[in-house]
Amino acid sequence: MRSPVPIFDCHGHLGVHPDFPAWKHSPEEMLQVMDLLNIEILAITSTRACYNDCPRGNAEVAEVLRKYPQRFRGYITVNPRPPGEALGEFARWSHFHRPPLIKLHPDCHQCPVNGDHYRPVWDFANQTHAVVLVHTWDSDPNCGPLLLGPIAREFSQARIIVGHSGVTWRGYEQSLAVAAEAPNTFLDITGSQSHRTILERAVARLGAHRVLFGSDMPFLEAAMLLGRVLSARISDEDKEKIFRANFESLLEEG
Amino acid sequence: MTTDLVFREVATWNVFDANVRLGHSGVHGELVLETDDLLNEMDRLGIQRALVSHFAGEEYDAEEGNNLLAGECHERLTPAWAALPDLPFIQKLGARNPKAVRLSYGVKKHNFSWAPWCAGPLYEYLEENSVLTLVAREDIEWDSLSRLLGDYPRLQILLLETGYRAERYLFPLFKQHPNLHIETSTCVAHRQLESFVERFGPMRLVFGSRLPLYTAGAALAVLATARISDEARLAIAGGNLRRLLGRESP
Repeated sequence: MRSPVPIFDCHGHLGVHPDFPAWKHSPEEMLQVMDLLNIEILAITSTRACYNDCPRGNAEVAEVLRKYPQRFRGYITVNPRPPGEALGEFARWSHFHRPPLIKLHPDCHQCPVNGDHYRPVWDFANQTHAVVLVHTWDSDPNCGPLLLGPIAREFSQARIIVGHSGVTWRGYEQSLAVAAEAPNTFLDITGSQSHRTILERAVARLGAHRVLFGSDMPFLEAAMLLGRVLSARISDEDKEKIFRANFESLLEEG
Repeated sequence: MTTDLVFREVATWNVFDANVRLGHSGVHGELVLETDDLLNEMDRLGIQRALVSHFAGEEYDAEEGNNLLAGECHERLTPAWAALPDLPFIQKLGARNPKAVRLSYGVKKHNFSWAPWCAGPLYEYLEENSVLTLVAREDIEWDSLSRLLGDYPRLQILLLETGYRAERYLFPLFKQHPNLHIETSTCVAHRQLESFVERFGPMRLVFGSRLPLYTAGAALAVLATARISDEARLAIAGGNLRRLLGRESP
C-alpha cells in the first residue's frame, strides 16, 4: 500500500525523543520509508529544537538540507526565550526556504503562543508571508487551537498551519472553528488519534484545500496518516489536494 | 485511489479485529455504529471478523451490556463479554461459555481492584476456562499489570490501546511474561510495529482498529506497510487472535 500521488508532507522531524525509543530515525532510514510510501517531500523540524536547543537543532536541519535538497524542506524552529534568539535564528537560516518555514512548539517551550514573548516572531512571519507550523493540543493553555484565531486575524499575511489540528475530537472541533473564521489557517492532520469521520467533516466544512497531509515522521508512523486519507469517504480529487497540492502551493506562494 | 481498490490486499489476510465496540455510547455519540453499519464498514476495508464488546457493558451495566451483545450475535462477530469479580456474576458469565472478556477496572467504569484479593475468583475462572482477557491500558497501572501477569501465568492477557510511548514498560514485560499480548491500534510510532517484530517476533501482536471510534484504515495501513514477512503479517492480522481464542487453527 502506498500513495498513488507523490506526497508533499508538511510535518516531519529530525532527531529522537526523550520518552520512548526512536526507531529508524536517521535521514537515510527516513528516505527509505518515504520511498516506500511515496512521500516525495518532507518538511522537517528539529526535535532537539522543540525539546531543548534551537540553535543546535536548526544546525542539524541545515546539514540534512545540504545533503538531500531534493527531498527535505526545513522549518526554522524558534523558542521565544531568551528574547532575541528567534530573530537571530531567522537571519542565520534564511537560506532554508523562501518564504520562511517556521515551527513553534509552545507546549515544549512552555510559553503561550499568544503571549508577548511571541510577538516578534509573529511580526516577522507577517512581514515575510511565512508558513508557520504551530504545535496544538485540545484546550491547552499554551497551544490550544482557539488561541490561534486572534493571531490569524492580526497577522493575516502569515500562513498558519494548525499542527495536529488539536489532536483530540474536541481539539479538531476547536481547530475547525478557528479555520472557518480565518482563511490563512490550514489544518494539519498528523496526530496519534485517528478519529473516524473527522477528515470528512473537515473537508465538508472548510473544503479540501484547507487540509494538509502531515506524518510527524520519525515520531509517528506515516502509514497511519496515509491510511486515514486513503480510507476517508471523500473524492479522489480531494485526496490529491490533501496529499500534495495544498502544501506544494503553500511552499510556492510568498 | 478508490478505497476498495487500495484495501483490496487487506481482504486476502482474513483479518480478525480484536478491538471493536457496538451500541449506543454516552461519550462517543456521533461515532457509534449499529451492527449492520459496522459490518458494512468492515466490508469496505476488508475486515473479516471482529471481537466485539458493547458500550453499554462498559459505560453502564455489565449484565445489561452482555444481554445487548448477545442480541447482536452474528457469525462474523465474537463477543468479548463484560465481567465483574463477584461470584454470582461469574456464574452468569460461565453460562455464556465465554471465549473472551473485556475487564473495565476503572473507577468511572466498573470500579473494582485488579488485585487477587478482589478479583481472584474471576481470574481463576478465566484461567481455568482459557478465556482470553482484554484489558485497556488506561484501566491498569504497569506495576499492577506486572503482578497480574505473574500471579496468573496461564491467564492470556491482551492489553488494548497501549499508546505508542510504552516500549520501556512493554519490553521488560514481554521478556518476563509470555502470557502478555498487545493490540495494535495505538502502535503508531514511526516503524514501531516492524521494530516490535524484529525484537519479539509477531506472536505477541494482535491487530485491532478501535472501531467505531477510529478509522480502521489507519491501523490497516500501518500493518500493510510494515516491512515484515507475509507469515508475520497474517499472524498479526488474525492468526494470533484465532489461536488465543482457541477456536481455529492459526
